[in-house]
Amino acid sequence: MNISREWLQTYFDKPLPEAQTLADALTFHAFEIDGIDPVKSHGDHGAGAGDDWVLDVKVTPNRGHDCLSHRGIAKEISAILDVPMKADPLRQEVALEPKTEDLQVKIEDAKHCPRFSACRIKGLTVGPSPEWLRKRLDVIGQRSINNVVDATNYVMFDLGQPLHAFDADKLVNSKQKTENGKYQLNVRGAKAGEKMVGLDDKEYELTDSMLVIADSSGAAVSIAGVKGGKPTGVDENTTDIILEAANWEGTMIRKTSQALKLKTDASERFQQVISPELTAYGLSAAAQLIADVAGGDIAGYVDEYPGREDGQREVYVSVQKINAVLGTSLKPEAIADVFRRLDLPCDEVTPDSFSVRVPLERLDLQIPEDLIEEVGRIVGYDSVPAMELPKFGKEPDINGVFLAAERKREELVAEGYSEVFTSVFADEGERAVLNKVDSTRPYLRANLVDGLKEALVRNEHNKDLLGLKEVRLFEIGMAWKGGTEVLMLGTADADGVREVPLEEAKADAYDALPVSTTEKYRPFSKYPFIVRDIALWVPSGEDSEEVLKVIRSHAGELLVRSEKFDEYKNEKTGKTSYAFRLVFQSFDRTLTDEEANVRMESVYQAAKKEGWEVR
Amino acid sequence: MHGACEACPHAAFSENAPQGYTLEMERGHIHPVSSLIRETNRIFFDMGFALESGPLLESERYNFDMLNFPKDHPARDMQDTFFIKDEPGMVLRTHTSSVQSRYMESQIKRGDPPPYRIVSIGKAFRNEATDMGHEAEFFQIEALAVGEDVTLANLKGTLARFFRELYGGASVEVRFRPSFFPFTEPSVEVDMRLVGEHVPEKLRDKWMEMGGAGMVHPNVLKSAGVDADKYQGFAFGFGVDRLAMLKWSIDDIRLMHSADLRFINQF
Repeated sequence: MNISREWLQTYFDKPLPEAQTLADALTFHAFEIDGIDPVKSHGDHGAGAGDDWVLDVKVTPNRGHDCLSHRGIAKEISAILDVPMKADPLRQEVALEPKTEDLQVKIEDAKHCPRFSACRIKGLTVGPSPEWLRKRLDVIGQRSINNVVDATNYVMFDLGQPLHAFDADKLVNSKQKTENGKYQLNVRGAKAGEKMVGLDDKEYELTDSMLVIADSSGAAVSIAGVKGGKPTGVDENTTDIILEAANWEGTMIRKTSQALKLKTDASERFQQVISPELTAYGLSAAAQLIADVAGGDIAGYVDEYPGREDGQREVYVSVQKINAVLGTSLKPEAIADVFRRLDLPCDEVTPDSFSVRVPLERLDLQIPEDLIEEVGRIVGYDSVPAMELPKFGKEPDINGVFLAAERKREELVAEGYSEVFTSVFADEGERAVLNKVDSTRPYLRANLVDGLKEALVRNEHNKDLLGLKEVRLFEIGMAWKGGTEVLMLGTADADGVREVPLEEAKADAYDALPVSTTEKYRPFSKYPFIVRDIALWVPSGEDSEEVLKVIRSHAGELLVRSEKFDEYKNEKTGKTSYAFRLVFQSFDRTLTDEEANVRMESVYQAAKKEGWEVR
Repeated sequence: MHGACEACPHAAFSENAPQGYTLEMERGHIHPVSSLIRETNRIFFDMGFALESGPLLESERYNFDMLNFPKDHPARDMQDTFFIKDEPGMVLRTHTSSVQSRYMESQIKRGDPPPYRIVSIGKAFRNEATDMGHEAEFFQIEALAVGEDVTLANLKGTLARFFRELYGGASVEVRFRPSFFPFTEPSVEVDMRLVGEHVPEKLRDKWMEMGGAGMVHPNVLKSAGVDADKYQGFAFGFGVDRLAMLKWSIDDIRLMHSADLRFINQF
């Protein structure tokens, strides 16, 4: 989530450190940071004035409950840097008062809608948002729409509660309203095939596993927790709104969002599950803000809360347990200090244990281990020492399959075979993958042979470059055939390609086998190479290595491989014939025959100079 | 080794080239990943970890459910999963962590309570587009240590020893950052820094992300039948390809499955 440094600052009296420091604080104590970007605010021409920084904070799924908001990140910053927040909006009392009789809310499915709060605001004026509000949204990459919609978005990014504003006059039956003076919003299951046009102008076809909000005509005016409807949306003529802040069950929202292929900032938050307590905070804040930026009167509130849970959730943890899990020796005071910084009220049950009263938004804190994590990350994991495990009491078992694979590797390598891995994905097979991103080769291979055949052909081309007389390959890998997963051993060479199931082996210990002593991989050229052979008569007794040295020094830097491949001694003439294979290749281009010819010509000249006869 | 090729970037081939009658069949090469697995298994075996395996085509039960991934939970989005056609409930395992629950469950069924120390090294799959740093099929190493007093500090110590031995006796620092995985609590990201003159310059004094780890979530122990009040443990899962890429400065993960001897014969 994009977090603005200036926005965070509104939570603190003390100036916050620079963006990088904030990013480091979060990285080592809370969340990964995907980016830190300076933002020039539009419409502001002062040097540096109005500029801001945006942190892209990767909020983990366990903290979607409370940290997909500036308030949540401010809370983290407050704990990590141990700077007090000015005021925490979620620690204030809010009352959805006065109540209004103008609106009736009916929840047919309380399991998926634990709470529905709403507010009627009359006599407002829709128009552009004030500069400060546009800037806040602009900085985090949100388009300003109008003062009412911007206010709902602002509160969502500030507190984490999604909101939606309906144009009250467009909720059907404004006529009916004048008769009985009431609006009605019903939370009901969508009908299969029911359609609604969203605020994004797209028509969505719903299924009966989704929820909608319907007005008194029965028409869906919003896809619950995902998208508001176009026909009842706020526009420049709106003067009366019904502002909704509801709570929706996460799995239902997740399924709806997946089925409609529609992810919204609202659905993202609901699918992470947020506290139903939050609707009151969000609604009250948004109503105030709308009254501030668009005028109008707050006519009153409605609050249906069938999912209310009574009682304070507490999680208990002991100092002994914390240290036993982390491997630390933290004192009770240090732990109490962490809870203070995190604003987790707690009682010392005994001098060595704590009972934490979990705040409304921290749905992630369920078990002692959750508190241990809080202690670990706030104290900092650098205070966890590195301690090796004590010696293990029992001798580990030998894995017979691995043992067999290792023996085969050694055996085959000794015979000149090199090991490859080819893909398990194939053009044909018995079992297929349902949802492959690149949609090529959707099958699971039924054999290794096909992949090895391809690999053999491809490597054949590079035989000379590799200096191989023959390409020999092997692979140990899974294949899926006859309804089972089988570990196969495949080999490929000049005689063909074959495979057998790998038989398990038995031994009391693994064999001591060599590992690669290579220090560094060197990228190879992707360009074709050129092979040239040269045969020379030299006086017998002349060492082939010496001859090769001369050749190499005149062949130039494009010579990537050179070796003797034949030798013949003529006893009568007292001369020996050496044949060498030279391989030329460039790292940045395809070599031409002429280039190779030029190199060879200088090799010939050098040979002649040495008195050798080119055959 | 020939002097003429010293300076050219292809020297690796020349160095590996045998002298004399070179076109005879020389010794082949094992894949760098196999070499790394061989070495890794040895290091962990010496620390008491047994190598365990499990199927690549795995049930959601072992891959997700028993690892504390609730059904229809956003945590499952973190894993881009390959599902199998006409076989609901089956996936290509998204991590070698599936072996954790398989192993513990089978031990408990046999009547063998902890302590446990296992590693699982093998292929895992993520349904994502491939590039230099990402592959749909890759190798992973998972380690699990469960006992009455296995701590997060033990995880740090175990990793430090592993990295030290794997990357050649250099001085190694291990750093944790907070993270989230459904099957560990607390969860951490592991960074490593190699210090010392022996370390290749590219790796020296730089923090590198190695993978995820943490203390086994009590729900994982419970679902396998292990007494979570009595036992605790650590687990980590790292990409073997990445370990190999760091070790040998390999720049493209796709080389691993290229079956290209221009790559493999360098090892």
